[in-house]
Formats: sequence, structure tokens, C-alpha cells
Amino acid sequence: MRKRVVVTGLGVVSAVGNSVPEFWNSLIEGKDGAKEITAFDASPYRTKRAAEVSGLNSQSHFSGKELRRLSRCDQFGLVAFREAWRSARLDQDPIDKERAGIILGAGSGGILSVEKYFRDFYQGKGKPSPSLLISYSLATTTDLIAVESGLKGPRSTTATVCSSSSVSIGVAYDMIQMGLSDVMVSGGSDSLCEVSFSGFSSLKLVDPESCKPFDKRRQGLTIGEGAGILILEEMEHALKRKAPIFSEFLGYGICADAYHLTAPEPNGEGVERVIRIALFHAGTSPEEVDTINAHGTATIFNDIAETRGIKRVFGERAKEVPISGIKSIVGHCLGSAGGIEAVATVLTTKNGIIPPTIHYEVPDPHCDLNYTPNQSIKKDVRVAISNSFAFGGNNVCLVFGRFSSES
Amino acid sequence: MDKKMKNSFLNQTPNSEHRTPNSPEEPRIVITGLGILSSIGVGREEFWKNCLLGVPGIKPILRFDVSSSRSKMGGQLPEIDFKTFIKPANLRRMDRIGKVMVSAVKMAIDDSGLDLSKEDPHRIGISIGTGLGSSDTVDQFFRGLLKDGPVGAQPLLFQTAVPNAITSHCAIEYGIKGVNITFSHKETSTEMAMAYACHLLREGKADVILTGGGDELSEPLYHVYSRLGALSPGKEKGFEGMRPFDRDRNGIVLGEGSGILVLERLEHAEKRGVKIYAEIAGVGLSGSTDGVLRYDQKGNSLAKAMSQAAQDPSIVDYISGAANSTLDLDRVEAVAIRKVFREKAKEISVSSLKSMIGEFDGSGGVRACGVALSLYQGIIPPTIGTEHLDPDCDFNVVLGQSKKREIRSALLNSCSNGGSNISLWLKRYV
Repeated sequence: MRKRVVVTGLGVVSAVGNSVPEFWNSLIEGKDGAKEITAFDASPYRTKRAAEVSGLNSQSHFSGKELRRLSRCDQFGLVAFREAWRSARLDQDPIDKERAGIILGAGSGGILSVEKYFRDFYQGKGKPSPSLLISYSLATTTDLIAVESGLKGPRSTTATVCSSSSVSIGVAYDMIQMGLSDVMVSGGSDSLCEVSFSGFSSLKLVDPESCKPFDKRRQGLTIGEGAGILILEEMEHALKRKAPIFSEFLGYGICADAYHLTAPEPNGEGVERVIRIALFHAGTSPEEVDTINAHGTATIFNDIAETRGIKRVFGERAKEVPISGIKSIVGHCLGSAGGIEAVATVLTTKNGIIPPTIHYEVPDPHCDLNYTPNQSIKKDVRVAISNSFAFGGNNVCLVFGRFSSES
Repeated sequence: MDKKMKNSFLNQTPNSEHRTPNSPEEPRIVITGLGILSSIGVGREEFWKNCLLGVPGIKPILRFDVSSSRSKMGGQLPEIDFKTFIKPANLRRMDRIGKVMVSAVKMAIDDSGLDLSKEDPHRIGISIGTGLGSSDTVDQFFRGLLKDGPVGAQPLLFQTAVPNAITSHCAIEYGIKGVNITFSHKETSTEMAMAYACHLLREGKADVILTGGGDELSEPLYHVYSRLGALSPGKEKGFEGMRPFDRDRNGIVLGEGSGILVLERLEHAEKRGVKIYAEIAGVGLSGSTDGVLRYDQKGNSLAKAMSQAAQDPSIVDYISGAANSTLDLDRVEAVAIRKVFREKAKEISVSSLKSMIGEFDGSGGVRACGVALSLYQGIIPPTIGTEHLDPDCDFNVVLGQSKKREIRSALLNSCSNGGSNISLWLKRYV
């Protein structure tokens, strides 16, 4: 029998808040997270803004010794994990740690530290510290969280970048379905770095102004950073320990366009397929979906393909389902985008409020759906989906439902 | 999409109900195709011939400058004419590791006799593991950026620099539209990819999955391992080379390569009437928490992974070891094997293919191909380089020459430096 899986803990670090309550308030108020970049020298770039994390106060979370070894990505991941673990009350309830594991998604990982090392190395500036190289592997943040918390269940890291932390939630769910664990930490962490910033800039995918998903004036994304962590738990296990339950994770879909290394399949065929697969495995149907957290990168091609895909699934009803593009608020957080957006989607089902797509002013005839422009709306949400699409046409869709212990 | 295909991606097999992963009534998952590029041979036949002969793949590094490192050796791929495997027009968009992966996929598909034009592309998936993917491309991109600032950032390099580019290349090349995923978790990357593929096939979420993975040996990667002190040191500090389970082992030698397996449910393979190398009958996944740069220290975690995977330990005749010639891991693997098998440990043949091909994060693909061939032919390749077995690793290591024996089932172990431990249980197909 399929096991039911619920979300019992949430943690966030983002440009608009370093805790879940602060993050959620910013989302529903439609606060813009973009600011001048300080993580690296952005002065040579046309765009000097990103949705950078601020006010984290690392010294209050880590010792000086720890800070010398932890990358920016590791710090975000650990802080968000601690919040999620506490919110699930797993710091108090004894659980079998042999049956608790961790699957995170990664993007550029700790490459900011690795960049620092190789910049000094290639420019002949002495012998940079090898501790900067601990982050060379994308597994580092995942392992750090496991070491800190003593989790001895299944452990791995997904590496599909823009969909990494979405698919990590799917893989974590599968670990529970496989009977290998009762509790799984999932989601992801990622930090700004010059390689990904310059890479997206070189592909002309970064908007020099604000990120405006689905707006006719859109020119691309704002790069973001942060961490979004979800605790998934087998339902009976959660009920037995009377854990707080935010929502139910109903299932997911994953598939490929097999079309192009960076561009999406233009007709939305891949988007349609991944949503249909996800809803099928979740045991629900398009009629029950009350909101969509869009991938919504605000690139010309993504927003059209995603809109077309949604229409192909929802038909006439497409215009009635509010769509939320929160990359306009938190930026595109790459390896943590799916995790952060999943946290938002879970809160949407729990609170019955749909966050807005901000900076939306000029409708695009090719994107003619309800994108929840600029103002959050109250709505009873039975089922919510969250889309993530990565380079190479790698598509993931997550399905969350309002929790009720009767099936 | 034509009408027939319209909802084909939603097909479920009759056996798609969720069950525990390792219960015997599960749909059986079999290996029907192998694609291998390694330092000891390109293609299944050359690889296996040299593997059984115990040919060393480790040689002085020639492809890039290692003068800043004390260590000088690596298990490098030979020069390969990729036009043999990939259309020249498509080669242009791929970097070296991309070409290596796509070639391995091509060989695996050909070996399995799969006719992609007759299969529904939505029901074919790909699940790949890689430690560092396109590390060389990332480095080239970064050097361009350092040299010329933002204008030096080359978009064509960036799009192949992301870790899942290798998987995307394969999907695009062969029109694979089903599941598409990339794992990156050090030395367990490929084993995770294979474990996940088995799960999806059992659930009926695909009919065929290409799985495995690989890595390339690049200059920046070599530099990083050298600076982190992980490499077998080189002549001033003694012997440089792989010698798993030896009392004088002193670190890893890096290798590179790719191994891809075609996995499908037994009934799908039977319908096609193709040869079956072996069956993947169980997976075990576990974690140790001794440090981000430490292997499992007590062997409990690896022992748990092996116990989860092998439902019938009494028929395990061979263990393809994770042992990589480091002081810690080889000892821990020995401890874990004794924990699980106790008295029977002495009857199990243990060997480490890493002794020939070197250590790399994505080595599990090549090593899994090796285990499949061992089960198919009843022969175990040797561990080479090892002269004096460490008393702590005193069990039945296949030394010097390959060994013919009955192999009913085998375990493929992998342990990451940081604490992910995965074991796959492969059975002879009968």
C-alpha cells in the first residue's frame, strides 16, 4: 500500500526573510527581495542586483571556527534545517535516527568558496586555504546537516540545478515509500556566486531591472539565494507523536523535454506531461487544483511555454486557477528555488492565502491567465502544485494537499 | 503527440502497487545492456578482457599539467574517436565528459538490442550519477571570467557546465522523454542513481531506465584532491598507486570513465527476447555521521546497507568492494563485511575493481557493469597491486588473477567520504 506522507516541518532562509513567519509575511505583502549585490564584486556587470540574503547574523548561529569552514551555502542550509527540525518538534521528540535520512537538491553549492580559492590560485596570490575546497562537492551541505543531526538513514544529493530541490522532495518521498525511513529532510540550499551569475547573464536571461514574470515587459530573472527545507514524515509516524502537520505531500511527476540544452519545448508539451504525471501519481485531478506555484522565471520562453502547458492541462478552467510567480519576490534561487517555493506552496494550502506575482503591470497576449498580480488573495485551497523546470528540459511538478487524516 | 501516445506516459503496469522495495514478489528488475568507457578498455569486450587479465589502467598523467602536485598518476581514458558513437554535428554542443556519457549510453542501448523507434519515448527514463560532472568546463568558464570579466563569460560553456548537462545531452541525443534525474553525492552518486531507477521501474513509472554514470579526470579536480591530501603521495613519500586492502596502502589514485546499464522489468525484457546479464534484487541505503570528510568509522552504516540489500545473505558469493586504498575505508569495509557475514565472511570472494581503474565518484557505473559480467560468466576479476594483505582486511580477497567460481549473488558496495553508504544486491539471472 502507498504510504501517506505529510509535511511536519519547514525552514527558510531567503532575501525576504530568514525564518518561516518573516518569509510568509513578505510573500503575502509582495515585498521585493532584490538589492545591490554584496556577496561578490558585481560592479563590472550590467545588472548589479540580486535577491541576496541579508541580516542573517551568522555569528549568532555559528562559532568562529565553524565559519571558517562553512560555505555561504552550508550556512543557509544549516540555519533553515534547524528551523525546520524545531518546527517539526523533532528536537524534543525521540525518533529512530536510523530511519531518518536526508536528500537535498544542489545548484552551485559552495562554489563561492571554491571561486575564492581558484581566483587567488590562478592569480598567484599566495597559497589559498584548502578548507575553501571542502565545498567542491555538491554533497557537502547535505553531509553537514546529517553530521550535525546524527541522521543515519538514506542520504543523497540531486543535481539538476533549477529543479534540484523540487526533485529532492520527490526522492525523499520515495525513500519513505520504499520503507527505508519514516522521516526525511528535503529541499535545498544555494548561494550567489559569480559563476552562475555571469553564466545566466551571458545567456541574456537576467533582467537588468525588476523580475516581472508573465508581464509583457519581462526580460528575465533576478538571481536569488537561500534555503528551503521541508521535513517529510510518514503519516502514521507523525500522528503517533502528535506532530504539527502543515500539509500532505501527495506525489510528484518528473520528465524531460529532450528538446534543447537551455530552452524549453515551446508548445508546453513537456509542462503538460509533467503536471499530468504528477496529478496522476498524486491520485488527484486538474479539477481539484486550486492554485499553481509557477516556475515563472520571467524569461520570454519559459513564461509562454508554462502558460501553454497549464492551458493544455486545465482547459477552460485554466483562467480560474490563480497562479503565483514568487521568483518576482525571492528571485531565482537555483538549487534552492524548488525548496523555497515548496515551503510557500505548503503554507498556501495551510493558510488559504495565495502570494502574488509582483511587478506585474502590462499583460502579454501570450500569457493570458490569472497570475495573482501584485496582491495576495484569500482562497480555500484543496490541492496546490509547484512547478520547476531546469536546463535541458528537466521538468518536475510537486503536489501538496490540505491535510485531513481521513483519506 | 498522436492520439495513441496521448496518455501513454500515465500507463501503469499491473504490478505498480506500492510495496516494500525488497520483497520477493516485487517485479524483478534485470540488466539487459552495458556500455563502458574505462581506462582499461572502451566497450564491454575490451573492458572485460582486460579486467579479467588484471591490466592496470593507472599511468602517469599526460592530458594536463600535474607539476604542482606531488602525485603524478591517474587512470585516464584513452584517446577516443567519438565520431564512432555520436553524429559529428551533435558533438559540437558537448564537452568531453558529455561525449563520454553519450557514448556509454549509445553502447548500452546497442548492447541491449533496444529499438528506440519501437519504444514509447515517454516510458524510457535516464537516471545518472556524477560527482563533479563537467568540472573541466566549469574551470574553463571561470578562467574566461577571470581573464576578461563579464565579457569573458562564454554562454556555450555555461550551458554545458551545469551538473545535469551530461544527462540532458543523453536525453536530447536519443529523445528520452521519461524520468530524467542527476544525482551528485561523491562516491555514492551512481549507486543512488541505480537504486532510484530500480524503485521507479518497480512502481511502473517507466519501462526502461538507462542508469549508472561517470566522471572525468580534470586538472582542477586533480588539484583539489591533491590539496585536500587525498591522493596516494608519490615517490618522495613512498609508493604511488592503488593497493586496496594492503597493509601499506596510502591513498587514492584518481580515475575516470563511465558505465551505463539498461534496466527493465523482467517481463519487458522477456517480451523483447534479449539476453539478461543479471538481476538487481535489492538496495540498501544508509548514512554515517562521523564528519564531512570522513568515511563510516565503525562499519555499522555500511553493514546496515548490505543487510538491507541482501535479503538472503547465505547466497552472497562475491562482494565488489568500495575499498579504495585509503587507510579508513578498506579497514571499515572489512569490519562491515564481518559484522554482516560473521563466519561466512571467509567464503565470500572480495575484489576491488578500483585497483585497476582508480577511484572516482562516478565509478559505480563501471563497477556495476563488472558485477553484472561476473554474474553472467561466473568469474571474478582480481584486485591488483596488493601484495601484503592488511591483517585487519584478512578475508578472501581475489589477488593477482581472476577467479572462476559459482556466483549466486553479489553485493556492490559504495561509501562516500562524508557518510552516504549504499549497497546493491545483484543476483545471477535464472
